[in-house]
Amino acid sequence: MNDHQSIYLALSVILFVMGAFGVIIRKNAIVVFLCIEIMLGAANLAFVVFSRANQSAEGLFMVMCVMAVAGAEAAIGLAIFVLLYQKTGTINIDKFNLLKW
Amino acid sequence: MFDLVWLIPIFPLTGVLINGIFGRRIENKSKRLVHWIACGAVGLSFLVTLTIFLQLLGLPAEKRLYDFNWFSWISAGTFQASVGYQIDPLSMFMCMFVTGVGFLIHVYSIGYMWHDEGRYYRYFTYLNLFMFSMITLVLADNFLLMFLGWEGVGVCSYLLISYWFSDMANAVAGKKAFITNRVGDFFFAVGMLLLLVNLGSHGTWSLKFSDVFTHISLLSPKLITVICLLFFMGCTAKSAQIPLYIWLPDAMAGPTPVSALIHAATMVTAGVYFVARCNILYTMSPFAMSVVATVGAMTAFLAATIALTQNDIKKVLAYSTVSQLGYMFLGLGVGAFAAGLFHVLTHSFFKALLFMCSGSVIHAMSGEQDMRKMGGLKDKMPVTFYTMLIGALAIVGFPGFSGFFSKDEILWKAFSSPQGSTGLWLAGLMAAAMTSFYMFRLIFMTFFNECRASEHVKQHIHESPKTMTVPLIILAVLSIAGGFIGVPEALMGSNRVEHFLAPVMGMGEGKLLMAADGTKMLHEVSEGAAHHAFSMEYGLMLLTVLIVFCGIFLAYLMYMKKRALPEAIAAKSPFSYRLLLNKWYIDELYEKVVIRPLHGFGMFLWKGIDVVVIDGLVNGTARFFMKCGNTAKFSQTGYVQRYAVSFLVGAVVLAAYYIYVG
Amino acid sequence: MDLIPVITIGVAAVLTALLVIFSKNTVHSALWMVGNCFCIAVLFLLLNSQFIAILQVIVYAGAIMMFILYAIMMLNLRENGEPATKKSLFIFRMALLILFLICLTNLCIGFSPLALKGDMVTQNMDHFGEVNLIANYIFSEGLIPFELISVLLTAAVVGAVYLAKKE
Repeated sequence: MNDHQSIYLALSVILFVMGAFGVIIRKNAIVVFLCIEIMLGAANLAFVVFSRANQSAEGLFMVMCVMAVAGAEAAIGLAIFVLLYQKTGTINIDKFNLLKW
Repeated sequence: MFDLVWLIPIFPLTGVLINGIFGRRIENKSKRLVHWIACGAVGLSFLVTLTIFLQLLGLPAEKRLYDFNWFSWISAGTFQASVGYQIDPLSMFMCMFVTGVGFLIHVYSIGYMWHDEGRYYRYFTYLNLFMFSMITLVLADNFLLMFLGWEGVGVCSYLLISYWFSDMANAVAGKKAFITNRVGDFFFAVGMLLLLVNLGSHGTWSLKFSDVFTHISLLSPKLITVICLLFFMGCTAKSAQIPLYIWLPDAMAGPTPVSALIHAATMVTAGVYFVARCNILYTMSPFAMSVVATVGAMTAFLAATIALTQNDIKKVLAYSTVSQLGYMFLGLGVGAFAAGLFHVLTHSFFKALLFMCSGSVIHAMSGEQDMRKMGGLKDKMPVTFYTMLIGALAIVGFPGFSGFFSKDEILWKAFSSPQGSTGLWLAGLMAAAMTSFYMFRLIFMTFFNECRASEHVKQHIHESPKTMTVPLIILAVLSIAGGFIGVPEALMGSNRVEHFLAPVMGMGEGKLLMAADGTKMLHEVSEGAAHHAFSMEYGLMLLTVLIVFCGIFLAYLMYMKKRALPEAIAAKSPFSYRLLLNKWYIDELYEKVVIRPLHGFGMFLWKGIDVVVIDGLVNGTARFFMKCGNTAKFSQTGYVQRYAVSFLVGAVVLAAYYIYVG
Repeated sequence: MDLIPVITIGVAAVLTALLVIFSKNTVHSALWMVGNCFCIAVLFLLLNSQFIAILQVIVYAGAIMMFILYAIMMLNLRENGEPATKKSLFIFRMALLILFLICLTNLCIGFSPLALKGDMVTQNMDHFGEVNLIANYIFSEGLIPFELISVLLTAAVVGAVYLAKKE
């Protein structure tokens, strides 16, 4: 059983790093968004593994929280993208630097 | 009745509050009501004072001490200060003439200020506030409350000197008075703290007069000398002595009743009162006593010389006030506390009278103060002339008038007491001679000969209204009669003032206070000298009178008979004349020696230290962080991915932390 | 023996993730993302947490991915290849990522679940991940966070409506 856990964890780490790679390399806002979802999924996987190791429901509950946050994020984030696209005609995140100094 | 002593300061305070808060509205409704409130308040104070005074007289001499503790003021650890009033011969003696003369001057002000363009209620508010402060000063039973009154009168003096503040000169004069007084007050406060700290280290955390005096023998004589000198420094500012007398002549910029009340009769005698109140302290330090006496004599002499050549009627009186205050300190310094206070009393009568007469003259001359443009007023304003003549005779010490008794007492004590000396006496005598000269110079120039005023002014010359002349007459009567309450023993009198005040002077049997450790501290000076050979006293008295007559005659000669003589003398010795006319160049000297360097130092602190160092430091810090911010702001590129990368950096650091530390 | 499905599904998850990242077409990315979600759900099942696995399918693969596809369709994106990241930046970021990977791996190696609960590991293993256990938790200790989640979702809905609203 323990061996399996380390495999799950390794998988979680790999997925997380891949997600991070997508976030910092890709320019398409939607893809960046999807990469974030990958990272969240990896984190969820780790939560479940730890929860099982600890024999408690806390980790599972955390997964539910993460899902809720992901849902909220999708709702708001996508609304913003749509608006941005309407205003500027692109969703290339390098085109937006309104938060500059 | 003694428990009602708090009424005395409360009445003027009520006047201040009513006139100060609602004054504008009251004045718009009825200008009369303003002065009714103000004068009524002081009048009621005077009545209460009178009743308490009479009751005090009814008690046996050694029981004449009552301490009315009103409420606790400051309570810090073991230190206690209360608002309390002390009733004893000295405080009642002062309070009597402060409220009495104050009331007369309030009444006189009605006539003098009625037509003034300024705000009527403002004037009376200040005047009442002054009365409150002065009463607090003389009635206080501890140093701290007295200091409150001391500062209060200073503030009122400032406010009233620059009452016509739209004129720059008046504002400057007020400022000068205030700042000069602050210099003195600083020394005073230091003295007070020194006293408190040192007494406290002996277990007496109190500034109450009775506590301080009964425990004073715990302190070393050197320390007492230092404290006395610091206190005296404060007195020189308040009572216009060398070296801080310079503000008083300028203070004449205020309305004349103010000059009469504050800068002649009452406030300037606060220093004299204080030294007399602390007579126990001062008698323990012969050196401090001799300083007081020397400064007094020097001031009397110096001020008199300056008064000789002044042409402004109020300036002459101002310098004569400084000179007379010098006499008082001379008296105090030679141990004749009662004589000094007696002179305070008589001086308050005749100097208030003289100022009010000069005010009457100025009023009639439409504000002209230069004596060279007066003259011939004798017939046009007889009441003013005769009352002023009485005042002048009183101040020069004409036999039978009040000044004669008090001044002669001081001169005699200066000559005969152990602390006195021939030098002090001689200075006093010279000052007396000059006093008679310049006072009669003033009388002759103002009231005799032809009128030198312009035609326009001449038409307006008139006798002053009743509210002004009645106080003049009352004060004139007092100037004559005031002397008879203290006729010295040599002249078959009983010297009532001295006997009345004797219980306050010193400690021990028959006195109001007993030293805590039982040691006796009697005044040998006033008692040892009293029974001297009368023949010598007569001789000196005669000499004084003669010299006074000489002065009067000289004035008559120069300003009535041969009127070219003054100018001839001035032309003959231009240097000494100019020296006197310019007041010994003291103001210029202070300007050069004190004010300029201080000003320069202040400029250095401003331009050098403040602007360069402090502002530089503050601005430099601000500039440094602005630079930092300007540099760091470029990290905020606005690109989301860069922020994501910095997230990642943080995550790496966190992970590394857990690997290597956690 | 248990290892085979785990590894198979793991490889599938990594592959789908790679396809999500490197697809030129955004719609393809989104669809591969659905696949990735299914992989994760299967992994959850293998870990005995059936409830979470079902949630994963319903919420992620069902709801969120539908959202995203819908949004992509609204955006009408043309496929003209995006500009590449600058080379120096790219190298720096890759180096950072590798460092991150090393760190995380290090942490996972150091991790031993036995150290946490000791003997308890074997207990209750059968019931782990059942709905009643999670429900018990939600309605006892987790009540307040649970309610807060509902507030968060409401706020998100309001925010989305506000953004979508025309002036």
